[in-house]
Amino acid sequence: MTAAEIVVAKNLTRVFPMSAGPVTAVRDASLRMERGDYLAIGGPSGCGKSTLLHLLGCVDTPTSGTVTFEGRDVGALSDSERGRIRLTRIGFVFQRFFLLPMLTAWENIELPQSEAGVPAAGRRERTRALLEYVELSHRADHLPSQLSGGEMQRVAVARALANRPALLLADEPTGELDEETGEHIAALFDRVHADGTAIVLVTHNAALAARAKQRLAMRSGALEGGARDSGLDAR
Amino acid sequence: MTAFALAWRTARRYRARAVLAVVGVAVIGALNFDMLLLSHGLMLSFADLINSTGYDIRIAGGTGLALSRTPLDNSTALMNEIAALPQVEAVAAMRTADAVIGKGRGAQQAELIGSSDAGGLGIWKPVSGADLSAPPNGAVAPAVISRPLSDLLHLTPGAVFTLRARIGDSLSAMPAVSLRVAGVAEFPFESQQAAIVATTMEGFRAAHGGVLNDQATFMFARSRRSAGPDAAAAAINRLRPDVHAFSNEQVIANFGRNAFTYFRQISIVLSTTTGVFSFLLVATLLTVSVNQRLGEVAALRALGIARRRIAATLLWESALLVGIGGLFALPLGELLALVLDRILRGMPGLPSGLHFFVFEPRSLALHAAVLAATALVAAMYPVWLAVKLPIAQTLRQEVVS
Repeated sequence: MTAAEIVVAKNLTRVFPMSAGPVTAVRDASLRMERGDYLAIGGPSGCGKSTLLHLLGCVDTPTSGTVTFEGRDVGALSDSERGRIRLTRIGFVFQRFFLLPMLTAWENIELPQSEAGVPAAGRRERTRALLEYVELSHRADHLPSQLSGGEMQRVAVARALANRPALLLADEPTGELDEETGEHIAALFDRVHADGTAIVLVTHNAALAARAKQRLAMRSGALEGGARDSGLDAR
Repeated sequence: MTAFALAWRTARRYRARAVLAVVGVAVIGALNFDMLLLSHGLMLSFADLINSTGYDIRIAGGTGLALSRTPLDNSTALMNEIAALPQVEAVAAMRTADAVIGKGRGAQQAELIGSSDAGGLGIWKPVSGADLSAPPNGAVAPAVISRPLSDLLHLTPGAVFTLRARIGDSLSAMPAVSLRVAGVAEFPFESQQAAIVATTMEGFRAAHGGVLNDQATFMFARSRRSAGPDAAAAAINRLRPDVHAFSNEQVIANFGRNAFTYFRQISIVLSTTTGVFSFLLVATLLTVSVNQRLGEVAALRALGIARRRIAATLLWESALLVGIGGLFALPLGELLALVLDRILRGMPGLPSGLHFFVFEPRSLALHAAVLAATALVAAMYPVWLAVKLPIAQTLRQEVVS
């Protein structure tokens, strides 16, 4: 493991048992992400992109293969240890934002910091900075229902960055947005990457994928171009 | 942000659901609270009633049912014997008979009570006028009458009326006697509309033509503080094994074991049922709520929010809904108890001083305990649902749906 390594996935396979028979969502996929990486994964719906993202983000465990996050074998960690990694080292951005509807933009961004035990003064400072970062300082006290789709996604990005993660995972972050708003979000990802956070995003949006430094395609659960080579050699 | 604050904000956000839950719990909780008041209310009320007389021992005939013992014979001698006991401070006797006031179409049935205690043995509480201690005005004995009788016949203190005692079901050949109203009183041991005339033993004898056997329906004794009622009752029972002496506590305990068991059983069944209804209501609403927010919960878990916090939030949410509903249940329950008490006390033959729903701190503590248990149990399934949900699968389903 090198100091720059964040996550290393080796020979990941994820099979879902279904009543009609087992479905292999991810097949023998290998990937390595280092600091400064910006990877976009494309492919048709149902090809396993999101499942791979979940495996990299420690929210799912592979049927076979290993995920090593910052040198720790994720498969050997307890549920709470994986939760702690997700809280402090990984940021998630979802297609449907999943902001808590009863909390304001400020409170949504503060929540993961509060969970991580960041003192109140530190939370305030970080939340203010993040709202400025996503250019939503004037919307701090607004509920998600009072925000546009693009604004909600910017709050979601700020929330994902709240605990200064090493890796930002985004699942179709522009899937619910129009083209112009999607462009703003893409620009925001560029800034996040430029500021030193590694990004893996799963997207159908060719324009968004084109901005990534590395691009991979998935088909029928496999990373195209040879699973073992893809993450490393595609750079 | 604390779990409590999150729960509060959630309840405010989903206001219609929260209001529905609070109203539901308030209504069901009110019924539950009433059942708790009912479970001991009659016992407490009965104890209050029996302890309000100023006598702590009841003496009745040795045979017959608990409430209708045979009369006590040779009552004068018996009273003297009991009064001589060192454990006894005072003794009094009472007799009862049926009577008719007036004659013809306007004749009014009444219950005649003769009391050796001019103060009334504690079985009446003065409303106006005086007790029976005033000296008789010639042949006219004093009487204390019940308020309904006073209202019905427009008899006020100072008025004189005539009364004839009844023997069996027919009017006796007893001469009518005149009685002077010394006072008007409430008789808490009698039904609300009862027509009662209480007079001295001399007045009672006069109503029976001056010829009366030496019987007493009941006797009352007051124990000396140094002895206590149980010891005094035991001393009376030793002195005269042919009579039964009970301390008030023994009477209350006997009634608790026999007469009030039904109320306790009914209240336990009904309070359990209302508890189950509360549980079902809150559990259903919370489960539906969690099911509507599965994506939100899965996203929180994906962000690293601990299961503990999610569980705590749901528990607080349940506690808030049940707690606020439970608070509203108290005044609602009190109001309902007043109405139900009035209806039940209207049953014929029930002592007017008896209440079915009586507040005691124990009922409040039980109410709180039942609600706390309901909140906890109702939250269990939604909590389990939220903390056990597969994060990746739920997120995938949310996107697909």
